[in-house]
Amino acid sequence: MSEGVEAAAARSVEESGEAGSPELWDAAGRAASAFAALRSVLDRHVVAHDEVKQALLLALATREHIYIEGPPGTAKTRISELTAQASDLEFFFYQLHRDTRLAELVGDVVLERRTVDQGEQIHQRIEPGGLLTAEICVLDDVSRAPGEALNVLLRILNERRFGAQPIPLMTAIATGNPMDDEYYNEPLDPANLDRFALQLRVHGLVQTAADAAAELIDRFASGEVVERPEPVPVIGRAELDAAYSLLPSVAVPRPVRVALLEFLRSLVVEHGCDETNSLLTDRSFLVKAVKLARARALLDGRVEVGLEDLDLLRWMTTFRVPQEVAEIVPNLILRASGR
Amino acid sequence: MSSSDAAPTGGVTTATTADTRRGAPTSDPPPARPLSEAIRALRDGVDALLVGQEEAKLGVLLGLVAREHVFLEGPPGCGKSVLAEGAARVLGARSHLVAFHRDTRESDLLGDSVLQRSKRRGDEPDRGRRGGALERIRVALAPGPMLRAEVVVLEEISRAPGEALAPLLRILGARRALGESLPLESTIATAPLDGPGTPVDPLEPGQLDRFAIQVRLRGLAESRRWWAVQRLLERSCDSARTDCEALPVLRPGERQAIQDRVDAMPLGEELMARYHEWVRRVRALAAAADGEALISDRAFGRLALRILRAHAVLRSAAVAEPADLRALRLMMGRRLPPEILELLDDVTEDLVRPREQAQADGHESSRGASSSLGDEGLEADGDGGDHLSLDGSEVASPPVGEDEEEREVGLVERPAPPADVAELLRAFEGRIDRGRSDPGDDPGGQPRSYRPLRRLDELLDGDLVEAILFAEGSLPGSPRTYRRTRRNAGGAVVILRDVSSSMAGQRNTWAGQVVRALVEVAARRRMRVGYVEFHHRALPREVAGRLLHRSYPRLFQLAANAHPLGQTNYEEPLSLALESLRGGRGRNRHVVMLTDGLPITGDTRVRGERLLAQRLGVCLHTVFIGEGACPAVLDEISQETGGLRYQARPEDGGLRVAARGGDATASGSLVRRAS
Repeated sequence: MSEGVEAAAARSVEESGEAGSPELWDAAGRAASAFAALRSVLDRHVVAHDEVKQALLLALATREHIYIEGPPGTAKTRISELTAQASDLEFFFYQLHRDTRLAELVGDVVLERRTVDQGEQIHQRIEPGGLLTAEICVLDDVSRAPGEALNVLLRILNERRFGAQPIPLMTAIATGNPMDDEYYNEPLDPANLDRFALQLRVHGLVQTAADAAAELIDRFASGEVVERPEPVPVIGRAELDAAYSLLPSVAVPRPVRVALLEFLRSLVVEHGCDETNSLLTDRSFLVKAVKLARARALLDGRVEVGLEDLDLLRWMTTFRVPQEVAEIVPNLILRASGR
Repeated sequence: MSSSDAAPTGGVTTATTADTRRGAPTSDPPPARPLSEAIRALRDGVDALLVGQEEAKLGVLLGLVAREHVFLEGPPGCGKSVLAEGAARVLGARSHLVAFHRDTRESDLLGDSVLQRSKRRGDEPDRGRRGGALERIRVALAPGPMLRAEVVVLEEISRAPGEALAPLLRILGARRALGESLPLESTIATAPLDGPGTPVDPLEPGQLDRFAIQVRLRGLAESRRWWAVQRLLERSCDSARTDCEALPVLRPGERQAIQDRVDAMPLGEELMARYHEWVRRVRALAAAADGEALISDRAFGRLALRILRAHAVLRSAAVAEPADLRALRLMMGRRLPPEILELLDDVTEDLVRPREQAQADGHESSRGASSSLGDEGLEADGDGGDHLSLDGSEVASPPVGEDEEEREVGLVERPAPPADVAELLRAFEGRIDRGRSDPGDDPGGQPRSYRPLRRLDELLDGDLVEAILFAEGSLPGSPRTYRRTRRNAGGAVVILRDVSSSMAGQRNTWAGQVVRALVEVAARRRMRVGYVEFHHRALPREVAGRLLHRSYPRLFQLAANAHPLGQTNYEEPLSLALESLRGGRGRNRHVVMLTDGLPITGDTRVRGERLLAQRLGVCLHTVFIGEGACPAVLDEISQETGGLRYQARPEDGGLRVAARGGDATASGSLVRRAS
């Protein structure tokens, strides 16, 4: 890391030159079409909710976790489950509840008694199950779990290891009910929410978008929306691995870097986001944001990030900045990227 | 322990990091190099782990070469874990990692219990009648991997309850267990910042004191280190992988040699004279910290000297000099409160350099220890902007103009409430946090102490040895299991704001600002907030049909739109507020009443409401606005319910808010607790 910024920039220009190699374009095309297949499954089963669908694909492509918050009956769980079912991955679904115990999530506690020289050794371990063996999981109503049990869960998600053992988990999809309402009485610790790189708020179509609601009704009536049977897997581990390994090859041109930096600066400097009211962690905004932007380009079949890909930043800020700032984030993104 | 440990060593299997294996492939032992080169390699290796965070990197290095313990504290995602685990690998030490969580048990840390039974036949011939042979059961410990490691990484140490940590920290401090000394050299502990909303048990001072190095990290973006932000961004945009794979950089024997040099490093006379002076001045600073400082003989008598020596070794100096005093800042992260810590730099700089020189190059004065490794670090600064210096000069020399920019921003930020509300807010925050820290029994909470088993399904949630003995019928009585408690999260506050006609004008504006500030305090803790305006009637400002809710932005709008009218009535708003709090659980329920006058209508003594508040455990805080004497009824309301009493007096065109009545000292102590 001892090169100067200029040198690094020069190198990235070279890289973006290489980025045009036919092989890379082909690979990107394959990745994009694999994810497009997944997208069409989601579209066949669920009307509208374009943002949630996009974000779920991104989460899957980048192996990040995603949190979806919305009132009951807004297809949160349905879309999450569909995504998991349409991916050929080891799947774990868990409905959290007030008395959720850790063992229900990670597997059974086993007491082992071994005879050793001096006597009998007693060892407690966990027979891995659930979250520890899954590649994708849906945690429904995550905020209903008691705070401290939830913390263990979220740490597992964050570190992708249990104790010292790495776990195969790629993506966790969590859903929750709105915080500013009385659906439950334990507010989710904002620091815990940081575990979810992507954070979305969904609204019911009937409440917010009359047109989409009308379409929803019509499409259900015409049988266009398929409720059953459940989807067969359309994307597998091989396709996901291929796409994931392509991510670093997606070039991030200078204007995108400048815009990302400018966006971050505007949050901190102009809108007073700091440790007390926000969670602008370096890991999220300087590392994960870049990864997500690359994935967004890739899912579009491109091998270079464009300024429009930075729109995804609004899915990273939903619960990380004060609500009044979150509401103007789309504008800030546009301004930062000079659009 | 010899440091030929870069090669695989037998005996350690589980959870020992893979570095020993990775270190192995180098077939021939490379030729010896001067120790200064090894030190350089070590520093570069640690530096490459992370962008920015120079203090933390230096702190970890000092801890590792001095064989002392390190405590890193910071927000999520700022690189604590990367640094802690990476540094242990770079050092090539046999390391063991423990990720703490609520249910971390002693056996996870130290090792499994071993039941040793010895059957002793009863002497008496009729033993059948006595129920069989006597059995003696002893519980011993089978040392776990942590007790065999050289560097132990304790991740998120404060997630485990303090009780579980006590034996561990004692062992780590003494480096002895089971009657044997341990190979342990250093411990690197990481912890999240403890603040509102984080379910952590802060370490006690006595526990913290065992960590020689204590560094608080801040996010690069949040602390506005734009230069480092840009470097990190470039790194993740350019490189194929996002984090650096740490490899051991030291050759066999070198770690030992470096550590030996620390032991042998002479402390210069000049340094010692100034160190004594430094201790004197720090003690004076600490006295001002009002008991918040952690100044121990251990830290200043033993640990500090080791850190001075280690710093000199890292500089490859022949003797420890006054400049090494800068390293001591890295010991003070939690030993001095933040506001005093800021003064420490001046104290240190004052002693490090002769006064006139300090004035001469004051403009480039490097605050803190970040650049104190000195020469190499500073030379990288020379290139101005675009050189990525190894010693992270961005901390020491931020891009020109940044400071001004920040100051400018401070002016354009949204108007703050009058500065003198701060005291009220601090006291109020203190009250809220005190309520939160009152733990109640809860099956999902932190294990606190042992209690007898009540239900069979609790069998695994406690002492395993006793559970096993119980299950096989050889335990008289029931096994111990955890009593779990949790802090009352959330909570609720109802703000009652007088909008009678006497509040018109300046007072009304000011009251709106206080409401806004109180809502911000509540929002930080995600408390539910109710907002009621009152004159002769109570006007509950509900949102979506609910009085208590978390729609904070809506409250800001409401608070800005009050229109004074009519007379004052205490009874109705208080009754309404208490009614809305009636159903809630927990102790963290508050009512804050802002008023400028005596009640005219309703029950002017509000007797019924005072009794109800006491019964519900709700705190009624009162803030009286005005020059004259405060109505006695307000004092009674607060005193009976343990609420705060404040008065706001117009003064120099603004308002001064101060504790009311004779209990100024009492609220003063609250302020201290809150800060």
